[in-house]
Amino acid sequence: MPQAIMPPPSPGLSRKAAIVGIGETDYHTDYQAARSRAPGYEAPSVESLSLAAFERALADSGLSRADIDGLSVSFTFGGPPPMEMAALLEIEPGFAIANGNIMAGPLPVVCAAIAEGKARTVAMIFAVASRSIGKQFGGASDAMAEGMPASYYYFHPWGWSSQAAHWALMFSHYQATYNVREEDLAAVAMQVRRHASATPQAVMQTPMTSTDYMASRYIVRPLHLFDICLVNDGAVCLIVTTPERARDLPHAPVEVAGWGEAKIRNRKLDTMVRQRLRPQMQEAGGQALDMAGVALADIQLFEGYDASTIHLINQIEGFGFVEPGAGIDFCKDGGMAVDGRLPTNTGGGNLSGSYMQGWSQVANVVRQLRHEAGAQQVADARLAMTSLVQTDQAHPLIFARGEN
Amino acid sequence: MPERRPDRALGPGHNDFWQWCAASELRLQRCATCGELSWPVVATCEFCGSTDLAWEHMSGRGRVIAWTTFERDYYAGTLPIPWDTILVELAEGPLFLSNPKGFSWPDITIGMPVQVAFVDCEDSAGPFRLPVFERGQEAQGGD
Ligand SMILES: [Zn+2]
Repeated sequence: MPQAIMPPPSPGLSRKAAIVGIGETDYHTDYQAARSRAPGYEAPSVESLSLAAFERALADSGLSRADIDGLSVSFTFGGPPPMEMAALLEIEPGFAIANGNIMAGPLPVVCAAIAEGKARTVAMIFAVASRSIGKQFGGASDAMAEGMPASYYYFHPWGWSSQAAHWALMFSHYQATYNVREEDLAAVAMQVRRHASATPQAVMQTPMTSTDYMASRYIVRPLHLFDICLVNDGAVCLIVTTPERARDLPHAPVEVAGWGEAKIRNRKLDTMVRQRLRPQMQEAGGQALDMAGVALADIQLFEGYDASTIHLINQIEGFGFVEPGAGIDFCKDGGMAVDGRLPTNTGGGNLSGSYMQGWSQVANVVRQLRHEAGAQQVADARLAMTSLVQTDQAHPLIFARGEN
Repeated sequence: MPERRPDRALGPGHNDFWQWCAASELRLQRCATCGELSWPVVATCEFCGSTDLAWEHMSGRGRVIAWTTFERDYYAGTLPIPWDTILVELAEGPLFLSNPKGFSWPDITIGMPVQVAFVDCEDSAGPFRLPVFERGQEAQGGD
Protein backbone atom coordinates (compact mmCIF):
# COMPACT_ATOMS: atom_id res chain seq x y z
CA MET A 1 0.00 0.00 0.00
CA PRO A 2 1.51 3.40 -0.94
CA GLN A 3 2.34 5.52 2.07
CA ALA A 4 1.92 9.27 2.35
CA ILE A 5 5.11 11.30 2.13
CA MET A 6 5.88 13.81 4.88
CA PRO A 7 5.69 17.43 3.69
CA PRO A 8 8.90 19.42 4.19
CA PRO A 9 8.81 21.82 7.14
CA SER A 10 7.55 25.23 6.09
CA PRO A 11 6.41 28.27 8.10
CA GLY A 12 3.37 28.40 5.79
CA LEU A 13 2.13 25.15 7.31
CA SER A 14 2.72 26.19 10.93
CA ARG A 15 -0.39 26.31 13.14
CA LYS A 16 -2.64 25.36 10.21
CA ALA A 17 -4.12 22.44 12.15
CA ALA A 18 -4.90 21.72 15.79
CA ILE A 19 -5.48 18.61 17.86
CA VAL A 20 -8.92 18.85 19.45
CA GLY A 21 -9.51 15.30 20.62
CA ILE A 22 -7.40 12.54 22.12
CA GLY A 23 -8.26 8.96 22.97
CA GLU A 24 -6.06 6.19 24.31
CA THR A 25 -6.74 2.62 25.30
CA ASP A 26 -6.37 1.43 28.90
CA TYR A 27 -2.66 0.65 28.81
CA HIS A 28 -2.42 -0.32 32.44
CA THR A 29 -5.42 -2.62 32.72
CA ASP A 30 -4.87 -4.10 29.25
CA TYR A 31 -1.27 -4.93 30.15
CA GLN A 32 -2.32 -6.52 33.43
CA ALA A 33 -4.92 -8.60 31.62
CA ALA A 34 -2.41 -9.72 29.00
CA ARG A 35 0.06 -10.70 31.73
CA SER A 36 -2.37 -12.65 33.87
CA ARG A 37 -3.98 -14.53 30.96
CA ALA A 38 -7.08 -15.31 32.95
CA PRO A 39 -9.33 -18.06 31.59
CA GLY A 40 -11.24 -16.75 28.61
CA TYR A 41 -8.76 -13.94 28.02
CA GLU A 42 -8.62 -12.85 24.42
CA ALA A 43 -5.77 -10.66 23.24
CA PRO A 44 -7.06 -7.39 21.77
CA SER A 45 -7.04 -6.93 18.01
CA VAL A 46 -5.89 -3.88 16.10
CA GLU A 47 -9.56 -3.30 15.26
CA SER A 48 -10.87 -3.43 18.82
CA LEU A 49 -8.08 -1.19 20.09
CA SER A 50 -8.61 1.33 17.28
CA LEU A 51 -12.34 1.52 17.88
CA ALA A 52 -11.88 2.07 21.61
CA ALA A 53 -9.37 4.90 21.08
CA PHE A 54 -11.56 6.49 18.40
CA GLU A 55 -14.70 6.50 20.55
CA ARG A 56 -12.78 8.24 23.34
CA ALA A 57 -11.17 10.81 21.08
CA LEU A 58 -14.48 11.61 19.43
CA ALA A 59 -16.19 12.09 22.78
CA ASP A 60 -13.25 14.17 24.01
CA SER A 61 -13.44 16.45 20.96
CA GLY A 62 -17.14 17.17 21.35
CA LEU A 63 -17.64 16.34 17.66
CA SER A 64 -19.93 13.75 16.09
CA ARG A 65 -19.14 11.05 13.54
CA ALA A 66 -20.66 13.19 10.78
CA ASP A 67 -18.01 15.85 11.44
CA ILE A 68 -15.16 13.45 10.62
CA ASP A 69 -14.38 13.79 6.91
CA GLY A 70 -10.85 12.44 7.00
CA LEU A 71 -9.18 9.25 8.27
CA SER A 72 -5.51 8.39 8.64
CA VAL A 73 -4.41 4.93 9.78
CA SER A 74 -0.96 3.98 11.09
CA PHE A 75 -0.02 0.52 12.34
CA THR A 76 3.18 -1.04 13.62
CA PHE A 77 2.42 -4.58 12.50
CA GLY A 78 -0.24 -3.98 9.91
CA GLY A 79 -3.97 -3.46 10.11
CA PRO A 80 -7.02 -2.96 7.92
CA PRO A 81 -6.85 -0.60 4.93
CA PRO A 82 -8.31 2.88 5.52
CA MET A 83 -11.77 2.31 4.09
CA GLU A 84 -12.23 -0.92 6.02
CA MET A 85 -11.27 0.95 9.16
CA ALA A 86 -13.75 3.69 8.21
CA ALA A 87 -16.53 1.12 8.00
CA LEU A 88 -15.51 -0.30 11.36
CA LEU A 89 -15.58 3.17 12.92
CA GLU A 90 -18.89 3.94 11.15
CA ILE A 91 -17.61 7.07 9.47
CA GLU A 92 -17.67 8.11 5.82
CA PRO A 93 -14.48 10.08 5.17
CA GLY A 94 -13.88 11.59 1.74
CA PHE A 95 -10.17 11.55 2.55
CA ALA A 96 -8.66 8.32 3.87
CA ILE A 97 -4.99 7.34 3.88
CA ALA A 98 -2.55 4.74 5.13
CA ASN A 99 -0.04 6.94 6.87
CA GLY A 100 3.20 5.33 8.05
CA ASN A 101 3.44 4.07 11.59
CA ILE A 102 5.74 5.85 14.07
CA MET A 103 4.82 9.38 15.24
CA ALA A 104 7.07 11.06 12.75
CA GLY A 105 5.53 11.81 9.37
CA PRO A 106 1.84 11.03 9.97
CA LEU A 107 0.92 14.24 11.80
CA PRO A 108 2.65 16.59 9.31
CA VAL A 109 0.94 14.72 6.47
CA VAL A 110 -2.46 15.33 8.04
CA CYS A 111 -1.68 18.97 8.85
CA ALA A 112 -0.77 19.57 5.21
CA ALA A 113 -3.93 17.80 4.01
CA ILE A 114 -6.04 20.04 6.24
CA ALA A 115 -4.15 23.17 5.11
CA GLU A 116 -4.76 22.16 1.49
CA GLY A 117 -8.46 21.62 2.13
CA LYS A 118 -8.42 17.89 1.41
CA ALA A 119 -10.25 17.36 4.67
CA ARG A 120 -11.48 19.54 7.49
CA THR A 121 -11.48 17.18 10.46
CA VAL A 122 -9.32 14.07 10.43
CA ALA A 123 -9.32 11.12 12.82
CA MET A 124 -5.78 9.76 13.11
CA ILE A 125 -5.54 6.21 14.37
CA PHE A 126 -2.43 4.42 15.56
CA ALA A 127 -2.62 0.85 16.84
CA VAL A 128 -0.20 -1.87 17.80
CA ALA A 129 -0.97 -5.41 18.92
CA SER A 130 2.63 -6.57 19.29
CA ARG A 131 2.22 -8.66 22.39
CA SER A 132 -0.71 -10.58 21.02
CA ILE A 133 1.18 -11.73 17.95
CA GLY A 134 4.19 -12.71 20.06
CA LYS A 135 6.50 -10.33 18.27
CA GLN A 136 10.06 -10.23 19.58
CA PHE A 137 12.08 -7.15 18.74
CA GLY A 138 15.29 -8.92 17.79
CA GLY A 139 16.71 -12.17 16.51
CA ALA A 140 16.57 -13.65 13.07
CA SER A 141 12.78 -13.71 12.65
CA ASP A 142 12.66 -10.20 11.23
CA ALA A 143 15.70 -10.67 8.97
CA MET A 144 15.71 -8.33 6.05
CA ALA A 145 12.13 -7.31 6.61
CA GLU A 146 11.28 -4.73 4.02
CA GLY A 147 12.45 -1.25 4.94
CA MET A 148 14.35 -2.46 8.00
CA PRO A 149 17.64 -0.61 8.45
CA ALA A 150 20.63 -2.86 7.70
CA SER A 151 21.82 -2.65 11.30
CA TYR A 152 18.73 -4.63 12.35
CA TYR A 153 19.71 -7.75 10.41
CA TYR A 154 23.17 -7.47 8.91
CA PHE A 155 25.10 -8.46 12.00
CA HIS A 156 23.21 -11.71 12.72
CA PRO A 157 26.30 -13.86 12.00
CA TRP A 158 28.00 -12.08 14.90
CA GLY A 159 24.94 -12.63 17.12
CA TRP A 160 24.08 -8.94 17.27
CA SER A 161 20.54 -7.64 16.80
CA SER A 162 17.62 -5.79 18.41
CA GLN A 163 16.95 -2.11 18.91
CA ALA A 164 18.10 -2.39 22.53
CA ALA A 165 21.56 -3.49 21.36
CA HIS A 166 21.92 -0.16 19.53
CA TRP A 167 21.41 1.73 22.77
CA ALA A 168 23.73 -0.64 24.65
CA LEU A 169 26.54 0.12 22.20
CA MET A 170 25.79 3.81 22.54
CA PHE A 171 25.93 3.62 26.34
CA SER A 172 29.16 1.60 26.59
CA HIS A 173 30.85 4.25 24.47
CA TYR A 174 29.17 7.07 26.41
CA GLN A 175 30.37 5.56 29.70
CA ALA A 176 33.97 5.61 28.55
CA THR A 177 33.66 9.10 27.06
CA TYR A 178 32.11 10.78 30.10
CA ASN A 179 33.25 8.46 32.89
CA VAL A 180 29.70 7.39 33.73
CA ARG A 181 28.90 4.44 35.98
CA GLU A 182 26.23 1.92 35.16
CA GLU A 183 24.22 2.90 38.25
CA ASP A 184 24.13 6.53 37.12
CA LEU A 185 21.45 5.59 34.60
CA ALA A 186 19.18 4.51 37.45
CA ALA A 187 18.32 8.19 37.97
CA VAL A 188 16.70 8.31 34.53
CA ALA A 189 14.66 5.13 34.97
CA MET A 190 13.55 6.31 38.43
CA GLN A 191 12.56 9.80 37.20
CA VAL A 192 10.41 8.42 34.41
CA ARG A 193 8.88 5.88 36.82
CA ARG A 194 8.01 8.69 39.25
CA HIS A 195 6.08 10.30 36.41
CA ALA A 196 4.36 7.02 35.58
CA SER A 197 3.42 6.50 39.22
CA ALA A 198 1.38 9.71 39.02
CA THR A 199 -0.24 8.73 35.70
CA PRO A 200 -3.31 6.48 36.05
CA GLN A 201 -3.07 4.77 32.63
CA ALA A 202 0.69 4.09 32.83
CA VAL A 203 1.62 0.42 32.58
CA MET A 204 4.29 0.48 35.33
CA GLN A 205 3.34 2.46 38.42
CA THR A 206 5.21 0.72 41.24
CA PRO A 207 7.84 3.09 42.64
CA MET A 208 11.42 2.16 41.70
CA THR A 209 14.53 2.54 43.87
CA SER A 210 18.13 2.46 42.71
CA THR A 211 18.38 -0.95 44.37
CA ASP A 212 15.46 -2.17 42.26
CA TYR A 213 17.18 -0.81 39.21
CA MET A 214 20.51 -2.51 39.88
CA ALA A 215 18.72 -5.75 40.72
CA SER A 216 16.82 -5.80 37.44
CA ARG A 217 18.29 -8.36 35.08
CA TYR A 218 20.50 -7.41 32.19
CA ILE A 219 19.08 -7.60 28.69
CA VAL A 220 22.08 -6.34 26.75
CA ARG A 221 24.93 -5.26 29.02
CA PRO A 222 25.51 -2.60 30.08
CA LEU A 223 21.71 -2.04 29.94
CA HIS A 224 19.26 -3.54 32.42
CA LEU A 225 15.64 -4.46 31.88
CA PHE A 226 14.67 -1.13 33.45
CA ASP A 227 16.69 0.74 30.84
CA ILE A 228 14.57 -0.64 28.03
CA CYS A 229 11.09 0.44 26.91
CA LEU A 230 7.95 -1.58 27.44
CA VAL A 231 6.25 -3.70 24.84
CA ASN A 232 2.48 -3.40 25.11
CA ASP A 233 -0.68 -3.31 23.08
CA GLY A 234 -2.72 -0.22 22.55
CA ALA A 235 -4.08 2.47 20.32
CA VAL A 236 -4.07 6.25 20.19
CA CYS A 237 -6.54 8.42 18.30
CA LEU A 238 -6.02 12.11 17.60
CA ILE A 239 -8.77 14.30 16.14
CA VAL A 240 -7.20 17.08 14.10
CA THR A 241 -9.02 20.02 12.53
CA THR A 242 -8.60 23.59 11.36
CA PRO A 243 -7.79 26.31 13.92
CA GLU A 244 -11.08 28.00 13.01
CA ARG A 245 -13.17 24.90 13.73
CA ALA A 246 -11.11 24.27 16.88
CA ARG A 247 -12.23 27.59 18.40
CA ASP A 248 -15.80 26.33 18.84
CA LEU A 249 -14.83 23.15 20.64
CA PRO A 250 -14.67 22.41 24.38
CA HIS A 251 -10.91 22.12 24.94
CA ALA A 252 -8.07 24.55 24.31
CA PRO A 253 -6.78 23.56 20.87
CA VAL A 254 -3.24 22.29 20.58
CA GLU A 255 -1.73 23.62 17.37
CA VAL A 256 0.94 21.79 15.40
CA ALA A 257 3.54 24.54 15.09
CA GLY A 258 6.58 22.86 13.60
CA TRP A 259 8.27 19.70 12.48
CA GLY A 260 11.58 18.52 11.16
CA GLU A 261 13.26 15.45 9.75
CA ALA A 262 16.85 14.32 9.33
CA LYS A 263 18.20 10.88 8.54
CA ILE A 264 21.57 9.20 8.77
CA ARG A 265 22.79 8.74 5.19
CA ASN A 266 26.07 6.94 5.80
CA ARG A 267 28.44 5.76 8.56
CA LYS A 268 25.40 4.66 10.55
CA LEU A 269 27.18 3.00 13.47
CA ASP A 270 29.63 5.86 13.84
CA THR A 271 26.84 8.44 13.68
CA MET A 272 24.79 6.51 16.19
CA VAL A 273 27.46 5.38 18.65
CA ARG A 274 30.03 8.16 18.59
CA GLN A 275 28.03 11.17 17.40
CA ARG A 276 24.86 9.85 19.04
CA LEU A 277 22.70 11.32 16.23
CA ARG A 278 23.51 14.84 17.35
CA PRO A 279 23.95 16.09 13.76
CA GLN A 280 20.48 14.75 12.86
CA MET A 281 18.86 16.23 15.98
CA GLN A 282 20.51 19.60 15.42
CA GLU A 283 19.37 19.67 11.80
CA ALA A 284 15.81 18.46 12.37
CA GLY A 285 15.41 20.47 15.58
CA GLY A 286 16.49 23.61 13.76
CA GLN A 287 13.94 22.96 11.03
CA ALA A 288 11.12 22.51 13.55
CA LEU A 289 12.04 25.59 15.58
CA ASP A 290 12.38 27.74 12.44
CA MET A 291 9.03 26.53 11.16
CA ALA A 292 7.36 27.31 14.48
CA GLY A 293 9.17 30.65 14.80
CA VAL A 294 10.35 29.88 18.33
CA ALA A 295 13.68 29.32 20.07
CA LEU A 296 14.81 26.17 21.86
CA ALA A 297 14.82 28.11 25.14
CA ASP A 298 11.07 28.73 24.66
CA ILE A 299 10.27 25.01 24.90
CA GLN A 300 8.66 24.37 28.30
CA LEU A 301 8.34 20.60 28.25
CA PHE A 302 9.82 17.75 26.30
CA GLU A 303 8.48 14.33 25.37
CA GLY A 304 11.31 12.19 24.04
CA TYR A 305 11.36 8.72 22.52
CA ASP A 306 12.65 6.83 25.53
CA ALA A 307 13.27 3.50 23.84
CA SER A 308 16.01 3.39 26.46
CA THR A 309 17.14 5.53 29.38
CA ILE A 310 20.38 6.51 27.69
CA HIS A 311 18.57 7.46 24.51
CA LEU A 312 16.28 9.84 26.39
CA ILE A 313 19.37 11.53 27.84
CA ASN A 314 20.82 11.48 24.36
CA GLN A 315 17.87 13.47 22.99
CA ILE A 316 18.04 16.09 25.72
CA GLU A 317 21.70 16.54 24.85
CA GLY A 318 21.33 16.18 21.09
CA PHE A 319 18.69 18.88 20.62
CA GLY A 320 20.82 21.18 22.78
CA PHE A 321 18.75 21.48 25.97
CA VAL A 322 21.97 20.59 27.85
CA GLU A 323 25.60 20.11 26.79
CA PRO A 324 26.81 16.70 25.57
CA GLY A 325 27.67 14.58 28.59
CA ALA A 326 25.61 16.71 31.00
CA GLY A 327 22.27 14.93 30.61
CA ILE A 328 22.49 12.39 33.43
CA ASP A 329 23.53 15.01 35.96
CA PHE A 330 20.71 17.23 34.68
CA CYS A 331 18.29 14.39 35.45
CA LYS A 332 19.83 13.70 38.87
CA ASP A 333 19.44 17.38 39.75
CA GLY A 334 15.71 17.25 39.00
CA GLY A 335 15.88 18.96 35.62
CA MET A 336 13.40 16.46 34.11
CA ALA A 337 10.88 16.64 36.96
CA VAL A 338 7.51 18.38 36.59
CA ASP A 339 8.93 21.46 38.32
CA GLY A 340 12.37 21.14 36.68
CA ARG A 341 13.92 23.25 33.96
CA LEU A 342 12.73 20.84 31.28
CA PRO A 343 9.91 18.56 32.46
CA THR A 344 10.43 15.40 30.41
CA ASN A 345 8.12 12.47 29.65
CA THR A 346 5.72 13.52 32.37
CA GLY A 347 3.29 10.71 31.48
CA GLY A 348 5.83 7.95 32.07
CA GLY A 349 7.19 7.77 28.53
CA ASN A 350 7.91 4.49 26.80
CA LEU A 351 9.92 3.17 29.73
CA SER A 352 7.08 3.07 32.23
CA GLY A 353 3.99 4.54 30.55
CA SER A 354 3.23 2.88 27.24
CA TYR A 355 5.10 2.05 24.04
CA MET A 356 3.00 3.59 21.33
CA GLN A 357 5.85 4.54 18.97
CA GLY A 358 5.74 8.18 20.03
CA TRP A 359 1.94 8.64 19.79
CA SER A 360 1.27 8.56 23.53
CA GLN A 361 3.86 11.32 23.96
CA VAL A 362 1.73 13.50 21.70
CA ALA A 363 -1.40 12.68 23.69
CA ASN A 364 0.46 13.64 26.85
CA VAL A 365 1.54 16.95 25.34
CA VAL A 366 -2.09 17.67 24.48
CA ARG A 367 -3.10 17.13 28.11
CA GLN A 368 -0.26 19.37 29.28
CA LEU A 369 -1.01 22.22 26.87
CA ARG A 370 -4.71 22.04 27.70
CA HIS A 371 -3.72 22.28 31.39
CA GLU A 372 -5.49 19.00 32.10
CA ALA A 373 -2.49 16.99 33.31
CA GLY A 374 -3.58 16.94 36.95
CA ALA A 375 -0.77 16.25 39.42
CA GLN A 376 1.68 16.15 36.53
CA GLN A 377 0.72 19.58 35.19
CA VAL A 378 3.63 21.78 34.11
CA ALA A 379 2.81 25.34 35.22
CA ASP A 380 1.49 27.58 32.43
CA ALA A 381 2.57 25.14 29.69
CA ARG A 382 2.16 26.77 26.29
CA LEU A 383 4.93 25.32 24.10
CA ALA A 384 6.16 21.72 23.94
CA MET A 385 8.40 19.51 21.84
CA THR A 386 8.07 15.82 21.13
CA SER A 387 10.83 13.84 19.54
CA LEU A 388 10.85 10.53 17.73
CA VAL A 389 14.51 9.71 17.27
CA GLN A 390 15.11 6.18 16.07
CA THR A 391 18.47 4.56 15.41
CA ASP A 392 18.81 6.36 12.09
CA GLN A 393 16.48 9.36 12.01
CA ALA A 394 15.26 12.32 14.03
CA HIS A 395 11.69 13.66 13.94
CA PRO A 396 10.90 16.51 16.36
CA LEU A 397 7.44 18.09 16.51
CA ILE A 398 6.55 21.39 18.19
CA PHE A 399 3.11 22.08 19.69
CA ALA A 400 1.60 25.34 20.90
CA ARG A 401 -1.44 26.02 23.04
CA GLY A 402 -4.00 27.86 20.92
CA GLU A 403 -6.94 29.96 22.03
CA ASN A 404 -10.63 29.21 21.92
CA MET B 1 33.61 -28.47 14.18
CA PRO B 2 32.45 -25.18 12.66
CA GLU B 3 30.50 -22.89 14.97
CA ARG B 4 26.81 -22.62 14.18
CA ARG B 5 25.79 -19.00 13.54
CA PRO B 6 22.60 -17.14 12.60
CA ASP B 7 22.22 -16.59 8.87
CA ARG B 8 24.27 -14.12 6.88
CA ALA B 9 22.78 -11.63 4.43
CA LEU B 10 23.71 -13.10 1.04
CA GLY B 11 23.37 -11.98 -2.55
CA PRO B 12 25.31 -9.92 -5.08
CA GLY B 13 28.13 -8.06 -3.34
CA HIS B 14 27.56 -9.82 -0.01
CA ASN B 15 28.80 -13.08 -1.53
CA ASP B 16 32.03 -11.33 -2.58
CA PHE B 17 32.68 -10.21 0.98
CA TRP B 18 32.32 -13.78 2.28
CA GLN B 19 34.50 -15.17 -0.50
CA TRP B 20 37.32 -12.88 0.62
CA CYS B 21 36.74 -13.98 4.20
CA ALA B 22 37.08 -17.61 3.06
CA ALA B 23 40.59 -16.62 1.93
CA SER B 24 41.19 -15.03 5.39
CA GLU B 25 41.07 -11.54 3.95
CA LEU B 26 38.95 -8.75 5.38
CA ARG B 27 38.03 -6.60 2.40
CA LEU B 28 35.65 -3.66 2.25
CA GLN B 29 34.38 -1.67 -0.73
CA ARG B 30 36.36 1.48 -1.54
CA CYS B 31 34.71 4.01 -3.87
CA ALA B 32 36.93 5.06 -6.78
CA THR B 33 34.88 8.25 -7.21
CA CYS B 34 34.92 9.76 -3.69
CA GLY B 35 37.47 7.53 -1.96
CA GLU B 36 35.23 6.49 0.96
CA LEU B 37 34.86 2.97 2.38
CA SER B 38 31.31 1.61 2.75
CA TRP B 39 30.23 -1.06 5.24
CA PRO B 40 27.98 -3.11 5.41
CA VAL B 41 28.15 -4.17 1.76
CA VAL B 42 26.42 -1.78 -0.64
CA ALA B 43 25.34 -1.84 -4.28
CA THR B 44 26.27 1.83 -4.64
CA CYS B 45 28.64 3.98 -2.55
CA GLU B 46 26.79 5.12 0.59
CA PHE B 47 28.49 8.51 0.31
CA CYS B 48 28.18 9.47 -3.38
CA GLY B 49 26.10 6.76 -5.04
CA SER B 50 28.87 5.66 -7.40
CA THR B 51 28.93 2.03 -8.59
CA ASP B 52 32.70 2.21 -9.10
CA LEU B 53 33.64 0.13 -6.05
CA ALA B 54 36.70 -2.05 -5.49
CA TRP B 55 37.35 -4.61 -2.73
CA GLU B 56 40.25 -3.26 -0.67
CA HIS B 57 42.24 -5.41 1.70
CA MET B 58 42.05 -4.08 5.28
CA SER B 59 45.04 -4.31 7.62
CA GLY B 60 42.84 -6.08 10.17
CA ARG B 61 44.11 -3.78 12.90
CA GLY B 62 41.69 -1.78 14.99
CA ARG B 63 40.57 -0.79 18.45
CA VAL B 64 37.41 -1.40 20.45
CA ILE B 65 35.18 1.67 20.69
CA ALA B 66 32.03 0.08 22.16
CA TRP B 67 30.73 -3.30 23.28
CA THR B 68 27.55 -5.03 24.34
CA THR B 69 26.99 -8.42 25.91
CA PHE B 70 23.68 -10.17 25.30
CA GLU B 71 22.14 -11.68 28.42
CA ARG B 72 18.94 -12.47 26.57
CA ASP B 73 18.77 -15.17 23.90
CA TYR B 74 17.57 -13.58 20.67
CA TYR B 75 18.56 -16.60 18.56
CA ALA B 76 16.58 -19.51 19.98
CA GLY B 77 19.57 -21.28 21.49
CA THR B 78 21.89 -21.03 18.47
CA LEU B 79 24.36 -18.97 20.51
CA PRO B 80 25.33 -19.33 24.18
CA ILE B 81 24.35 -16.62 26.65
CA PRO B 82 26.08 -14.39 27.73
CA TRP B 83 27.21 -13.47 24.22
CA ASP B 84 29.88 -10.80 23.71
CA THR B 85 29.96 -8.35 20.85
CA ILE B 86 32.39 -5.51 20.16
CA LEU B 87 32.41 -2.53 17.85
CA VAL B 88 35.86 -2.15 16.30
CA GLU B 89 37.19 0.97 14.63
CA LEU B 90 39.35 -0.40 11.83
CA ALA B 91 42.68 1.34 11.23
CA GLU B 92 41.25 2.38 7.85
CA GLY B 93 38.29 4.14 9.54
CA PRO B 94 35.05 2.14 9.27
CA LEU B 95 33.39 0.70 12.37
CA PHE B 96 33.04 -3.09 12.24
CA LEU B 97 30.62 -4.97 14.51
CA SER B 98 32.14 -8.29 15.55
CA ASN B 99 32.97 -10.69 18.38
CA PRO B 100 36.01 -10.92 20.66
CA LYS B 101 38.11 -14.11 20.36
CA GLY B 102 40.24 -15.18 23.29
CA PHE B 103 38.85 -12.56 25.66
CA SER B 104 35.42 -11.72 27.00
CA TRP B 105 33.46 -9.37 29.21
CA PRO B 106 34.52 -7.90 31.66
CA ASP B 107 37.97 -7.83 30.07
CA ILE B 108 36.72 -5.82 27.13
CA THR B 109 37.88 -2.22 27.48
CA ILE B 110 37.25 0.79 25.29
CA GLY B 111 40.35 1.64 23.28
CA MET B 112 41.97 -1.81 23.47
CA PRO B 113 43.85 -2.77 20.29
CA VAL B 114 42.56 -5.78 18.36
CA GLN B 115 43.53 -7.76 15.29
CA VAL B 116 41.26 -9.65 12.90
CA ALA B 117 41.13 -13.46 12.94
CA PHE B 118 38.90 -15.85 11.04
CA VAL B 119 36.90 -18.68 12.58
CA ASP B 120 35.18 -21.57 10.82
CA CYS B 121 31.41 -21.23 11.00
CA GLU B 122 28.31 -22.48 9.28
CA ASP B 123 24.79 -21.21 8.76
CA SER B 124 21.85 -22.53 6.78
CA ALA B 125 23.64 -21.59 3.53
CA GLY B 126 26.69 -23.69 4.45
CA PRO B 127 30.20 -23.26 5.85
CA PHE B 128 31.90 -19.87 5.89
CA ARG B 129 34.72 -18.05 7.68
CA LEU B 130 33.75 -15.26 10.02
CA PRO B 131 35.99 -12.27 10.83
CA VAL B 132 36.35 -11.79 14.60
CA PHE B 133 38.97 -9.98 16.67
CA GLU B 134 41.77 -11.08 18.99
CA ARG B 135 43.80 -8.91 21.29
CA GLY B 136 46.23 -6.87 19.20
CA GLN B 137 49.49 -5.08 19.80
CA GLU B 138 49.63 -1.50 21.02
CA ALA B 139 50.39 0.68 18.01
CA GLN B 140 54.09 1.47 17.80
CA GLY B 141 55.05 5.13 17.57
CA GLY B 142 51.53 6.37 17.03
CA ASP B 143 49.38 6.14 13.94
ZN1 LIG C 1 31.67 7.41 -3.29
